[in-house]
Amino acid sequence: MSENNGKSDIISLSKVGKSFWRGKERLDVLKDLDLTMKEGSFEALMGPSGSGKSTLLNLIAGLDVPTSGSLKVAGSELSQMSEGDRAGFRAANIGFVFQTYNLMPVLTAIENVELPLLLTSLPAADRRKRAETALKLVGLGDRMGHYPRQLSGGQEQRVTIARAIVTDPKIIVADEPTGDLDRDSANDILNLLGRLNTELGKTIVMVTHDPAAAERATVCHRLDKGALAL
Amino acid sequence: MTLFGIAARNIGRNKLRTSLTVAVVAISTLFFIMLRTVVWSWTSASEFAAKDRIATRHKVSFVMQLPKRYAEEIAQMPGVTAVCYANWFGGKDPKDENDFFATIATDPASLLKVYPEIKTSEAEKQAWIGDRRGAMIGDSLAKKKHWKVGDKITLAGSIFPGNWDFNISGIYTTTTTNVDRATVWFHWDYLNESLPERSKDKVGWIVSNISDPGASGRISKAVDAKFDERDLQTITMSEAALNQSFLGMFSAILKAIDLVSVVMIAIMGLIVGNTIAMGVRERTNEYGVLRAIGFLPKHIAQFVLGEALVIGIVGGVVGLGLGYPFVNLGVGRFLEENMGQMFPQFRVQPQIAVMAFGLALGLAIVSAILPARKAASLQVVESLRRVG
Repeated sequence: MSENNGKSDIISLSKVGKSFWRGKERLDVLKDLDLTMKEGSFEALMGPSGSGKSTLLNLIAGLDVPTSGSLKVAGSELSQMSEGDRAGFRAANIGFVFQTYNLMPVLTAIENVELPLLLTSLPAADRRKRAETALKLVGLGDRMGHYPRQLSGGQEQRVTIARAIVTDPKIIVADEPTGDLDRDSANDILNLLGRLNTELGKTIVMVTHDPAAAERATVCHRLDKGALAL
Repeated sequence: MTLFGIAARNIGRNKLRTSLTVAVVAISTLFFIMLRTVVWSWTSASEFAAKDRIATRHKVSFVMQLPKRYAEEIAQMPGVTAVCYANWFGGKDPKDENDFFATIATDPASLLKVYPEIKTSEAEKQAWIGDRRGAMIGDSLAKKKHWKVGDKITLAGSIFPGNWDFNISGIYTTTTTNVDRATVWFHWDYLNESLPERSKDKVGWIVSNISDPGASGRISKAVDAKFDERDLQTITMSEAALNQSFLGMFSAILKAIDLVSVVMIAIMGLIVGNTIAMGVRERTNEYGVLRAIGFLPKHIAQFVLGEALVIGIVGGVVGLGLGYPFVNLGVGRFLEENMGQMFPQFRVQPQIAVMAFGLALGLAIVSAILPARKAASLQVVESLRRVG
């Protein structure tokens, strides 16, 4: 990881391209993208629909692999990694926050938060303790036994954030985290992400259409037609 | 919290669908138990046969008759201790002609000697022997028809036409399950004296007690050899072999039952598979999230198979829970009482219960293999794209 201003690069893309095939037609969604993000930064990805920002987020999160170029995240070269290795990488390094929360409806808030810890060798009591800590951190210490249907949208998103941080990942990727929320709830979520960034040092990469949300980021990247807009 | 625990809770998400699927598994398990018990009971009937009895009939067919004197000659043979003879009467209750029960003409004293498992009081026994129109009724038939000792009944003859009047002399029960408890036994003489001269003194079959069960083969051969040069030849066999030969007449039914079992299982598999596949389709986004946070394809497959396993377990347990009382206390009791010779013991056997439960589990798992493979092979990004 290269050093700059005392912080190293935690995400580094070099000539990254990503193409999809629609029938016989090749779609170049990302084109020779060069991008770095510092450890502990809060970075926003903006751009019109189809600009490639979600594809870029998927690559950074290890959900997909680039068609060309080099992609290094948290010290791991993802472009050559197998599916199984990338799953392990994600479990160890990435926390996910989705626009539509995606909590399991049959699990309570604390069980949803505990879910990623099932992949670890932690004893059940330790898993439960960590999940409690994460829920308290997002301000839902009094909602642990509630099911998603018993929570508001903002509270559900807080549970999602607690689930994202429970494994103590280095990076949190957030795809339109305030897209389904009213302004007040959105501000709460953005404040929470800000605290995770400043107080816990999490690197946050957020895709958003919302300029107010993007303002919370320390760096904002704009994409257009698969390339960074100047 | 475990993966299996989550899978178990997942099936509660669509309670109606899950309930219906569990009901299908339970009913299939119940019917599987029923059908296998029919086959088991039928095929094991020979095991319950008395080992010290041999039966003699016409060599060609059950329906052809033998001279009554054959019985007297067999009684004189070495190793034979008692003989009785009988004719199938084919009587029906004129008030309910569709209600089948056996009506057999026999010699009362020799019947009770050859079949010591038929029990009645000494008074009723003597009353029957002493009354030419007397009939001895099985207890389950008496209960069903509300007949009691002293009643006068009329049966319509189907083989021997006309209305035949009987006095109920006694009601018998049995000490073993191989004798039917829904039979009307009556005097062979009463039948014989009513027949035209050319039909007199003929019997349908002869049953003999032998002193050494191990000699049944040798004695049977000797009996048949004795009549080999006569106009009417015989075939003699142990009671067990007789039951088996009778069973052979129903082999097509047994094969049909086997086929129905297989078809039913296949239908159950398709229904469970469809339910699981619908669940997988509905939860594609959740599987995508699980994959995103680090779960592997094998974990997703475990989720799906876990759900199927829970359905199989619950359905199997419910099926067994219904099957035991339904078969042992309901259908089984009825068949044992009314068709005791064909179904001497109609009870759920442990091996059938284990097979049925194993089948419910196995089939649920097999049905879920394709949906599980599909769920496990979902691309993470594609799954998440379906979120909304």
